Amino acid sequence: MFWTVTLSLLEGFGVTAKIFALTLLFALPIGLIMSFGSMSKFKPLKWLVKIFVWIIRGTPLMLQLIVIYYGPGLIGAWAAKLSYTNALISWIGTWGVPERFFAVMVAFIINYSCYFSEIYRGGIESMSRGQYEAGQVLGFTKIQVFFKIILIQVIKKILPAMSNEIITLVKDTSLARIIAVYEIIWAAQVFIKRDGLIWPLIYTGAFYLVFCGLLTLLFGFFERKLDYYKG
Amino acid sequence: MKKLYKALALVFALAICMTACSQAPVSDDSKTSAPQNSTASDLDYIKDKGEMIVGITEYEPMNYLDDKGEWTGFDTEFAQMVAEKLGVTAKFIVIDWDGKIMELDSKAIDCVWNGMTLTDEVKNGMSCTDPYVVNAQVLVMPADKIDNYKSVEDLKDLTFVAESGSAGEAAIQDAGYSCTAVTTQADCLLEVSSGAADACVIDNTMANAMTGEGTSYADLKPGLALTSEDYGIGFRKGSDVTVEVNKIIKELKADGSLQELADKYQLTLAE
Repeated sequence: MFWTVTLSLLEGFGVTAKIFALTLLFALPIGLIMSFGSMSKFKPLKWLVKIFVWIIRGTPLMLQLIVIYYGPGLIGAWAAKLSYTNALISWIGTWGVPERFFAVMVAFIINYSCYFSEIYRGGIESMSRGQYEAGQVLGFTKIQVFFKIILIQVIKKILPAMSNEIITLVKDTSLARIIAVYEIIWAAQVFIKRDGLIWPLIYTGAFYLVFCGLLTLLFGFFERKLDYYKG
Repeated sequence: MKKLYKALALVFALAICMTACSQAPVSDDSKTSAPQNSTASDLDYIKDKGEMIVGITEYEPMNYLDDKGEWTGFDTEFAQMVAEKLGVTAKFIVIDWDGKIMELDSKAIDCVWNGMTLTDEVKNGMSCTDPYVVNAQVLVMPADKIDNYKSVEDLKDLTFVAESGSAGEAAIQDAGYSCTAVTTQADCLLEVSSGAADACVIDNTMANAMTGEGTSYADLKPGLALTSEDYGIGFRKGSDVTVEVNKIIKELKADGSLQELADKYQLTLAE
């Protein structure tokens, strides 16, 4: 039984790891782009991004998952029933639910991009004006200054905050079960519902712990690598 | 200030462009999709797809996996029989039971067919078929105590748990007692075995499958039946499939095939 449970949980953990990896892959760059938006001198863009970040950070990820997965189908069904119709309404009437896994990815990427963008913003704004000026004096373009001088230092500064958020992401993946994406907690709950076994649920904790332990070691390694001033 | 006006003007221009662009392709496919929408019945929708997506939870003896990893059980076989009569195939998807009405309304699934008790709440949220099986809500307690409770009056000093919104919860409330609501029937058993509550009220079929030797709840035992209840199938609210399925159920009862299935899984058919 222990072996069956382990295999089944590993299968669930595969989905967990997939959500984790894909979210990072997309949310890290999108977060950076969004941070430029929130620092933009172009006011409408700045406020648009700020309001978006406020909505996403201000509502639970669980609710966002539900809205993104069921939303299109519910709106579609509602539009199809309307007695009044025009081109737009009949188009909305054809909307259906997206793929479950796809909806999870959209929700997680949007959510984490917003959190990451604020971390990036904090890091970038903490850099002194003098560095940009020094870079320009040396003949670098603005873009060169950002990528060759500023970003490297920003990464070092925000690493602890980022690792915090990334470790939270590992555990947030368990929310995917709300829209029936079968991650590790779901896999464990199957044993409760079907066989009356409680211990597989507790056992999932070991998977999370090991994974987060590895990430902690990895971030520790990066921090030491980037600690160039102390040799 | 001038800059701000320029910026605003740009935003408006963009907005106008975008609405104009997004409307152009829309009007093209509206000719084909509009008539479908206005006349499409749920039955046609399912028949066009060629498959009926059945929302279930894994639960013996209704829907569970056999040794080969294929879905089996009373409701599984029953759904396959009905789907065949409708000329479609049944596809089973394990859903989060709490989200069943959203799953239906958003067309993520076409029906819930999983030993569902026909409560007022269920009947309000979806279009339900006539009952097909009867079941009971039973009291589950530690095996050494259960025999002391033979009638509803005996229960007055106990603390209860039941699944939130379940027939078990309603049964406790109808008996005039209060209970703590938890998210699943399985959690109820955990509450009782850990001593957090004295007793829980859950489905008879569930109680038999989940307690006794070989389970984590070897020390629990089902006893007194509080209420009996009907199982039905839920379709989307306002769906025309319900009437059709009711007809098919009558046919399957008349030719004896449903009785045969009930005997196989030791269930009692509804009148």
